[in-house]
Amino acid sequence: MSGPLLEIKGLTISFGGLVAVDGVDLSVNTGEIVGLIGPNGAGKTTVFNCISRFYEPLFGTIRFKDRDITRARSHEIIRFGIARTFQNVELCRSMTTLENLLVGEHAVMRGGAIRDGLRLRGVGADEARATARADEILDFLGLMGHRDSVVSTLPFRLQKLVELGRALVSHPGLLLLDEPSAGADHRESEGLADLVRRIRERFDLSVLVVEHDMSFVMGLCDRLYVLDFGRRIATGTPSDVRSNPVVIEAYLGEPEVEVSDA
Amino acid sequence: MTMHWLRTRGRAAAPYGLGLAAVLVIPPVLGVIPGVAPGYVLYLVSLGLIYAVVAIGLGILIGHTGQISLGHAGFFAIGAYASALLTLRMGLPFVVAVLVAGSLSGAIGFLLGLPALRLSGPYLAVATLGFGLAIPQLVVWQGSWTGGSSGLHGLPLASLPLGAFTIVFRTDQDYYYLAAAVLIVLTIFARNIVTSHTGRAFVAIRDSEIAARAMGVDLVRYKTTAFALSALYAGIAGALYAHLLHGISPEDFTVLLSVDFLTMIVLGGLGSVGGALSGALLLTFLQNALTRLPVVHDFKNLYIVVLGAILILTIAFLPRGLAGVMRSVRQRWAARVRHDAPRVDQIVELGEGSGVR
Amino acid sequence: MLSVGQNILTDLPWGQLLVNGLALGSLYALTAFGIVLIFKTTQVITFAQGETAMFSTFVAFTLLTAFQLPFAVAFVLTMLFAGVFGALIERVVIRRISTTTVLNPVIVTVGLSLILLGAAGWIWGYEIRTFPGPVDGSPFRLGTVVVSQLNALIFAVTLVLMAALFGFFRFNPTGIAMRAVAENRTAAQLMGISIGRMNALGWGMGTAMGAVTGMLIAPINYLDPSMMGDVALKAFAAAVVGGLTSLPGAVVGGLLLGIVDSVVGFEVPELRNTIAFALIVLVLVVRPGGLLGRHETKKV
Repeated sequence: MSGPLLEIKGLTISFGGLVAVDGVDLSVNTGEIVGLIGPNGAGKTTVFNCISRFYEPLFGTIRFKDRDITRARSHEIIRFGIARTFQNVELCRSMTTLENLLVGEHAVMRGGAIRDGLRLRGVGADEARATARADEILDFLGLMGHRDSVVSTLPFRLQKLVELGRALVSHPGLLLLDEPSAGADHRESEGLADLVRRIRERFDLSVLVVEHDMSFVMGLCDRLYVLDFGRRIATGTPSDVRSNPVVIEAYLGEPEVEVSDA
Repeated sequence: MTMHWLRTRGRAAAPYGLGLAAVLVIPPVLGVIPGVAPGYVLYLVSLGLIYAVVAIGLGILIGHTGQISLGHAGFFAIGAYASALLTLRMGLPFVVAVLVAGSLSGAIGFLLGLPALRLSGPYLAVATLGFGLAIPQLVVWQGSWTGGSSGLHGLPLASLPLGAFTIVFRTDQDYYYLAAAVLIVLTIFARNIVTSHTGRAFVAIRDSEIAARAMGVDLVRYKTTAFALSALYAGIAGALYAHLLHGISPEDFTVLLSVDFLTMIVLGGLGSVGGALSGALLLTFLQNALTRLPVVHDFKNLYIVVLGAILILTIAFLPRGLAGVMRSVRQRWAARVRHDAPRVDQIVELGEGSGVR
Repeated sequence: MLSVGQNILTDLPWGQLLVNGLALGSLYALTAFGIVLIFKTTQVITFAQGETAMFSTFVAFTLLTAFQLPFAVAFVLTMLFAGVFGALIERVVIRRISTTTVLNPVIVTVGLSLILLGAAGWIWGYEIRTFPGPVDGSPFRLGTVVVSQLNALIFAVTLVLMAALFGFFRFNPTGIAMRAVAENRTAAQLMGISIGRMNALGWGMGTAMGAVTGMLIAPINYLDPSMMGDVALKAFAAAVVGGLTSLPGAVVGGLLLGIVDSVVGFEVPELRNTIAFALIVLVLVVRPGGLLGRHETKKV
């Protein structure tokens, strides 16, 4: 594969008359942790939702591993190797932690209703293999104690972890994290950043993270893209971006932003 | 494959074993009880078993996949009419007719699943309602070959060719065994689906379509499959129904029947195969028992009023249905046996979620 | 009857079909309006609209025959009864059920309709009765089109009610409060609006609208417990087609369905329901939220 793992060129998304994302270029190289930051409403999650194919772009292309996925269907994305988490946790609330992770492996399990209904050869083995993989991830994330708990009974912080586990279970090449530190305090935030680093090493994947919290991304990301009003206003290493006057101005007036040393 | 299957079933097979034993034991027991006409009771039970087939399929669609259908009497009718016409007019053997009828119903269910991709909630409810209303009307419209409003009668007996000889299901007891056998097979199939990755995909669609899509669940494929599956079950059940009654007419397939099916799965507990089964049997029993109660005024009125009351009371006080009650009882019993206080997440679970099984 | 060689455009009595269709459609519209009103305020889709209307109409019948009251008086009293009846149903039954799924309200309102059906049969019996009509004169003629006095009354009542309701929701503080509840319950609550009272009011008004329809349709359809079945079903579909979140949509849906029903009933009466519902499915597939409704897409 030549070139970046994920390459987005000229991405433009509009809703009705409102242009939410305007000509954005973005790339993630293999092994990188890239951050997509910007003030609220900058269009960051919209970019994610377009990569996930929940939204249709007006213009632009998205290439993953040299394959054009701009018009792919939303359920094919995970099969290409891109898994994501959601800002508002999207778990299957009636299922247990384990079952949610097993859902994450849906794409790698073979066969359909007839095969399952008749319990043909291989179904049991598939299920066992999937459960073993899920247990491995649960163990890594320290969730074994909640393996059989119905996720709606878990606190928000743990639900986010379960969702992370669900994304990892399918051996993705690229992990999309949507505001992973939302609702986390400073200490949890640091722990989360550390976890992402460990995940990159352990599972040999790349990460694109949308974040609103500057301090979270500063220490974690290799490179940053900054969006404001749907446009890319800056890109570079965290230290480049932090001192960029355009970026500072975009964030000015946002009371919660602390551009602090990580 | 069979040995491996039997070995892995293990403890999970216990309820099936019990069910099988119960099925075999009922007719001789009935014959011994005085004052009971075993033939008629078996006819009623067969009816309940046939409805249970519909309920199980519908339960997968509504309980597991989170869709809605107010028109499943339509699939029931398609199965009934297809089988009736194939055996009566074309002389096809019973088994072939049932399978074709079920497949036809399933195929139409698949087609009905397509608009369902765009619709949800009340809009889907109305669309399926329309389907259910349209089918009997179409039957009457094409009365020249469907028997119209007078229906089809004198259907041939159900029979199963086995090599040199043929089993003919002549009596109520014979038909009872046929219905029970079909139900058992279809229940196992349904349980397998529900505990598999297909079943998880269904529940994922119900709980979060977004998550399902992001995790690789093709909504088109799985929603249409859920519809097709529930229609297949209803179609097979309809075929069995036609031959149980030896005749059918459009009035057998009204909106009230679709409502009955809904009531069965709500009563039994959404999201549970066992629940659908027990809900169907219970409702069939209730419907017939109520019409027999010695009351001063019309039986008809009381039965309707009581049925309505049952519906409301079930939703108000037993939203998880009979299966939910069983689950609570089992969990409380398990907790007591272990001398634990119920865990926090268990208590919450009793009120939250309906589980995958 | 539809026949080969028939020219649809010229051979159908379009004028008459339109008038009949609008009259029928007005009845659908009134009932559908009630359904949408109840849905907007309480988030419950009621399958009991037909039966509450039927029950109220029987009450009207008793007032007219047993008490020999004049029609106008019986009409108003019945509307009041229906209003209280609806509010009571909301308080006693609806308030206790969870509306998170579509299925729960469906089952409960179906149960309600069964109870009312049985109760009506028990109280008044199942014989078909004639309902004393409100007007008794010769029909009006507009060119080739005949408008019966009853149809004229239906138009008049519908117009008056629609105007009154429009004014109510636009200018009356309580009407505005109800709209607030329909838009955003939490915000309305924070503004001091009593949700419970609005719910009860919504059900009361919705049920009253059904009663009006019942009393207008009974002279044509005769009076028996199953009289509203078909109308309620069609009204339900009309409400959905118009968009369950839109009151004007219910009216538009009702009128459209009435015209379609009238035309189809003339040409292919055996397929009335089938064609009506086929069209409904078609509309919904093209516009999943109904004609005037808002299709809520979940924010990711």
